Formats: sequence, structure tokens, C-alpha cells
Amino acid sequence: MTASALTLDRVTKRYGDFTAVDDLSLEVPTGSIYGFLGPNGSGKTTSIRMILEILKPTKGSITVLGKPSALDVRDRIGYLPEEKGLYKKMKAWSIIAYFAALKGLDKKTAKTRAFELLERYGLKGFAESRTEALSKGMQQKVQVLASIAHEPELVILDEPFSGLDPVNQEVMEEVIRDMAAANRTILFSTHVMQHAERICDRIVLISKGRRVFDGTIAEAKRALPRRVRIETEDDVAALRDLPVVKDVIGLTVDGMPVEMTAATEPVTHWEVDLTDDADGQAVLEACFKNGIKLAQFDQSDPSLHDVFVHLVGPDAKEAAVR
Amino acid sequence: MKYIWLVAVREFAENAKTKGFWLGLILLPIMLLIGIRVQAMLKKAIPVRHFIVVDQSDDYGKPIARALRRDLGKQRLEALTSWSSKHAVEGKPVDLDRIPASIEQLKKQLGANPQLLDACSTDAGWELLKQSTRKQIASDAPPIEEPTARFVRVPLPDEVTPDDDPDAIAKALKPYLLQQKQLTVDGEPVDLFAAVIIPKDVRGRTLEDVALAAKKGTELPTVQYWSINLADTDLPGLMQRAIDEEYQRRAYVDKGVNIAAVKKIQDASLPLAKKNPKKREGREDVSMADLIRQWAPIGFVYLLWVAIFTVSQMLLNNTIEEKSNRIIEVLLSSVTARELMWGKLFGIAAVGLTMVAAWIVSFFAILVSHKSQETQMINQVLEVLQTSNLIPYFVVYFLFGFLFYAGIFLSIGSICNTLKEAQNFMGPIMMVMMVPLVTMFFIPKDPNGTLATVLSWIPLYTPFVMMNRTAADPPLFDQVGTIVLMIVSTAVMLWLSAKIFRTGILRSGQPPRLVEVFRWLKSS
Repeated sequence: MTASALTLDRVTKRYGDFTAVDDLSLEVPTGSIYGFLGPNGSGKTTSIRMILEILKPTKGSITVLGKPSALDVRDRIGYLPEEKGLYKKMKAWSIIAYFAALKGLDKKTAKTRAFELLERYGLKGFAESRTEALSKGMQQKVQVLASIAHEPELVILDEPFSGLDPVNQEVMEEVIRDMAAANRTILFSTHVMQHAERICDRIVLISKGRRVFDGTIAEAKRALPRRVRIETEDDVAALRDLPVVKDVIGLTVDGMPVEMTAATEPVTHWEVDLTDDADGQAVLEACFKNGIKLAQFDQSDPSLHDVFVHLVGPDAKEAAVR
Repeated sequence: MKYIWLVAVREFAENAKTKGFWLGLILLPIMLLIGIRVQAMLKKAIPVRHFIVVDQSDDYGKPIARALRRDLGKQRLEALTSWSSKHAVEGKPVDLDRIPASIEQLKKQLGANPQLLDACSTDAGWELLKQSTRKQIASDAPPIEEPTARFVRVPLPDEVTPDDDPDAIAKALKPYLLQQKQLTVDGEPVDLFAAVIIPKDVRGRTLEDVALAAKKGTELPTVQYWSINLADTDLPGLMQRAIDEEYQRRAYVDKGVNIAAVKKIQDASLPLAKKNPKKREGREDVSMADLIRQWAPIGFVYLLWVAIFTVSQMLLNNTIEEKSNRIIEVLLSSVTARELMWGKLFGIAAVGLTMVAAWIVSFFAILVSHKSQETQMINQVLEVLQTSNLIPYFVVYFLFGFLFYAGIFLSIGSICNTLKEAQNFMGPIMMVMMVPLVTMFFIPKDPNGTLATVLSWIPLYTPFVMMNRTAADPPLFDQVGTIVLMIVSTAVMLWLSAKIFRTGILRSGQPPRLVEVFRWLKSS
């Protein structure tokens, strides 16, 4: 078994003048849960399609489970695409069995496995239902099960949480953790940071087709400057002069930097960026000294969400407006 | 190969489950069944035709009467055949020719060597035949359905003078022929179907008279057949034969030919007919089989068209379903686009073959089960199907036609996201596909003519037109050449559509413009 289940080496995909994926390198260690993050349109799906050999890269090479092409190991890969769909007229069990059979399981095993999985994830009563009769959440569960029924070594999930209610999102997380516990490698894309933060060992963050971060969650958080957040209606200009303070940035209520939005209301939330080994206490002291009345003072670690906004916020914004 | 097989099996299983498939499967046989039943009903429902014969020559009255009796005799013989075979005792088929009792008795009554048809044509012979057949068949058989004469000769209405000028008679009968007036027969009003007027001058006309008139360029008055229904050829045919027979007999006499000798010669050809009494009277039965042989391919062209279109439509729907539901991505992570395409082609082709096989089997079953009954046309259709190679050709043309059109439909399916988008492409395709349906009636008339030959070499039409021409033994060059053409064009079509399929299938958004599709073909 190779140390990395998946390697991308300087992969580029161009459609005419448009570069969807630009010089992307990536290494996914065997047995890890790898989050593939990025705003909409950043090239996640294109990258995944290239990994699966559905698309051919314009440049660069991809190694999947030690082989240069996913086709050589397609029976050992499971894939859940971003846009979910099933054959409407097929029964839940038979669609799972069909996809499992396409992955090399013999018919009988495929059928048994389909019923086992449906039972384990609470869909036993719907095994004989046509998929068109299932709710959207159930359909998605069926599709997830169909993509993992053959017990693949590498599982690629494109936006597995989208369209699921909170309960089923937890079920989905459970499915992912179950698989990781069985030493499978999981690469999943999402733009919901909470999921990634909870279950990922490592993340890669891409924007406009380029990699902007690759590493563990802790490393990601360290990528942000140390900072505290305060809420006050008073003037915060005095804080800028503190030696430990690098910058003071106004935030909207949603946590976005003010200069990136067109907000006109008076700013009440501030992010105070600190030098690397500074202590938030200094800021608090300065607030007292300067009579800044605090409604809130927050020195907690940044969330992955903050990292995401910090790293790709402007790009994502631009993409959304475009 | 394994993946192609898996995809094909699923395609087959899922499509064989659909209502449309079963509907297509049973609809055609049901239509055939209804067709046969309705035809039989119509045959019985044809009304008795009343007609008038004005014979000013006095030469043809008796021959016409004889022809009418024989026509009735024919109906009786058909009824007798059907009755005896329907109610035959199991394991003991009735051979009407070998009912010794009846033959012996008939001989006494009708003189030497009577034919069954002769027997049926006389009331006495008919009664005897019925009785002796009755003894051979199941005792609980219902009585035979007594056939009635199809044509009844009625007298002239009183106001028309039989000795008048033929044109005057025709004029006087016009209101009756136009059904503005009705005749009265046995106190019942009836419509006049036709009038046969034989002018005086026809009497004693010899072959020399005809030759002389031809030389002079004058036109001799001849027998007139008046009717508003010229589509029904049974009565004029009967009249023509009766009159010709008599005319020829007179010519023999005139030439001093020994009529007895002529009869003897005619009888000499009879033993062959003896084995199948139906064939004895006329050669029309033979020509009927030929006619069926000539026109049967039209039916097959239509079947071919329906089969190919139905099945290609399935392929289109499935491809669009996979595309619009985005199942395609999962599939493509398991199989290559090429495997998926071939799997779909094979699976759907199997669906089509199943449908076609079911049609052929059920057609045979229907035809065979109706064989014993009076519709002798069915026997001939069966014979034509069994002795010709229509069916093997049909299967071959179906396969190639399907694969060719499948290529087109797959390409359309792969670049469209919804059926609605596909409809835009279907319009022109439908127009193109209508051509074989339009030409299928003309081609048998000139099966090796320019139109047929040219169309045979257009790959879109090759299967249909060659099917159309099978009965006419097209030149070997056309037969072999078009098969080679089909193989090559199908291969090229599938190769092109594989390229479009591979690129188109993952595309979302609007269908590409044609220029773009051409670019896909050029690249990779």
C-alpha cells in the first residue's frame, strides 16, 4: 500500500481561454479524511472529475491508489457527484446493487450488501420503493450508499452535505467517520466549513483554480494573524497605536470586513489583529484606559470559516457577483 | 466487456419493465388480429349484388347463368372445406376428394369424372356432398352455414324495352345505376349494382370480323359493363370470363376444331388441380400469391420503421434521463463513456429484437390459428413468409438500421438536458425519417428503378428501401454493395456519435451550437 492514496502533480485544466484548475498539486495520505474546500466555481468539481478520469487534465499528472489512471482502479474508488440523481423507476435496493455490480461485486453479494446498508442507515422499509417515491434526503442517502456499497479504498464525495437536514448531515458525518475508521481514504468537497472543521484531518483550500492552502486544521488556523474581536459603539482609533496591534478592521455583523461590503451603518464590530506573540490582555487594558465601553470581547481561536473568508473572501465575492 | 454487459442488462431489464414496451409488443399483433377478423366480417357483410343482363345476341345468356352457378359452387366448396376441417374428428382429417360414397353417387348423377366444384354447382350434387361429409365429421357439429349467391341476375324493369338500342337501354337504366331509383325483386326494393348490355351485332362475330374491322379502322360494338362501383372487380371479372369462354368456344366451332378434343385437352390439365380443388377454376389464386409476395415487403418496411423508431426513442429518453438526473457522473466513474454507450446500444438492441421476435412469433401464431378458416389469403401469406427470406432480411436490416439511427439519437440525447430540448432536433430527423414511409408504396411498382436504386445507396434509407425491394431480387451488386455500405456507414456513424457522446454527456447548460459539435469531432 502506498503512503498517499491520491496525488495530483501540477494539474491544469483549461477550457479554451478559461483556466478552471491552475497548477494544482495535492497529496492525500492513505486513511485520512481530506477536506477539499473552496468557494463556488473554484474548480473543485473539475478537479474531482479529473481525478476520476471523467475529464482529462490539460497538463500535469494524477496518481490514484498508486496507478496513473483512476480507470485502472475504478473498482476501488467510490464517488458521489455534486449533483445528485438516481434512476427514477428503479427500486432503492436494485440501484445500490447495480452500482455495486458496476464496481465489480457479484450480483448476489451486491444485493445482500444493498439490503444491509439500507437497514443500517434506517431505510429498510424503503428498499422496495422506487426512488422517485423517496424524499430528497432519502434519495441522497441511497445515492451515498450506492457509492460506497462496494467498500472502496478511496471515497470521493462532492458536496455530500448539500440538501440534507441537520439530522441527516450528522448521519452523513457518521458515515464518513465509519469509513475512516475502516482505514479508507476520504476526500470530500464542501463549502460548509463547520463540517470540514469537525471531521477533517487535513484540508486543501482552492480559489479560482489555484491552491491557497494545504495542511491540517490547526495549521489553517495559524494562517490567520492572532486577533481579538470586540463590540463597541465607541471610537477605537486609540487601539491602533498599541505596539501589539497590527491593524484594526471594521466588520459587519456577519463577520465580513467592512471595506469588502457596501454597508453604510455605523461599524460596531471590530477585528483587532495582533503581532504574533502578543496577548489579548493588552488590548483589554487599553480599552479600559481609553474608556472604550465593550459590549463584547472575544479572544477565542479563529474558526475555519474565518480562515476561509480571510483566504478566499475577496475571490469568492468577485465570483458571486460575476 | 463486463461493464458493457452490466449496462446492457440493466438497460434491457429497465426498458422491458416499461408500459410502452408492453404496449408496443401487443399492439401490433392485436391490430393484425382485428384486421383479420374485420376482413372476415366484411367478407360476410358484402351485400348481394343485383345486376341486369340484356343479351340482344342471345349467345351469352346460358354461359352467364352457368358462371353464376359455378360462382355459388365455389362459395359452397369453400364453406364445405372450412366446415369439414373445423369439425373434423380428431386424427381423421376429412379429404373431400376421397369420400367414396359421394364420388360414386355423383358419378351416377353427373356423368363421368365430375369435379367437386361441378358437384357444388348443382343443387343435387351440393345436397349429396353435404350429406356424405356430414358422416365423416363430428356428430355434434352444427349444420353448415349455407352460402348464398353473391350475384343475382334480375329482370329488366318494365319500362325498358330489351330490343332497344344499347345506348338507349343504358340511358333508361341510368337512374337505377345511379341508385336514384330502385328495382323491385320479389316485392322487395333492391339497388341495381350493374348492368351488362350485349348488343345484337356481337352475335356470331368471328375472329375474321374482328381482324377486318381492325384493318378498316372501324370500331365494333362490344359488351358494355355499367356500374358506379368499379372498385369491386368480382362481378366484371366473372362476366368477362364467362363471355370469353363462350366466345372462345364459338371460335373453336367456327374453325372446325373438335370441341370434345379441346375439352379433353383441358381435362388433361385437371388431375393437378384435383389435388387442390380451389386452384382448379382460375389462375387467379396463383397471381394472388404472387401479389402477396410482391406487396408483403411493404408491411415489413412499416414494421421496420416502427421498430427502429420506437427503440431509438427509448435510447434517447434513457440518455436524457441519465443526463438530466446527473446519474451520468456516477456511471462515468465506474465505466468509460465508450462502455456506457455500447452497453446502452446492446441493451436497447436486445429490447428491440425481443419486440421484433415477439411480433414475428405472434404473427405466425395468429396466422396459423386462422389457417383452417375460409381466409385462404392467410395460407398464402404464411406460404410466402415461409418460402421467402423476408424475415432474415428483416432482422439484419433492423439491426443495422437501429445501430445507425441509434448513433443519431445518442448524439442528440447526449447534448440535450431535457426532452424538450431534444424535440428541436427531432423535428428535422422526423422529416428525414418520413421518406421511407412515403416511398414504400411506390418502390414495389418499380423495385429496381432509379428512385429505388438511388435511395438504396443513401445510408439513412438503405435498410428501409432494401427491405422494400427484397421481393424483386435486386441486382447482386445492390444487395452486397448496400450491405457493405450499411456496415461502413454504421461504423462511421457510431464512431462519430461516440465522440459527441463523450463530450456532450458531461455538458450542462444550453445545447451546443452545431459549429461547436463539429469542433468536438475534430478534436481528440
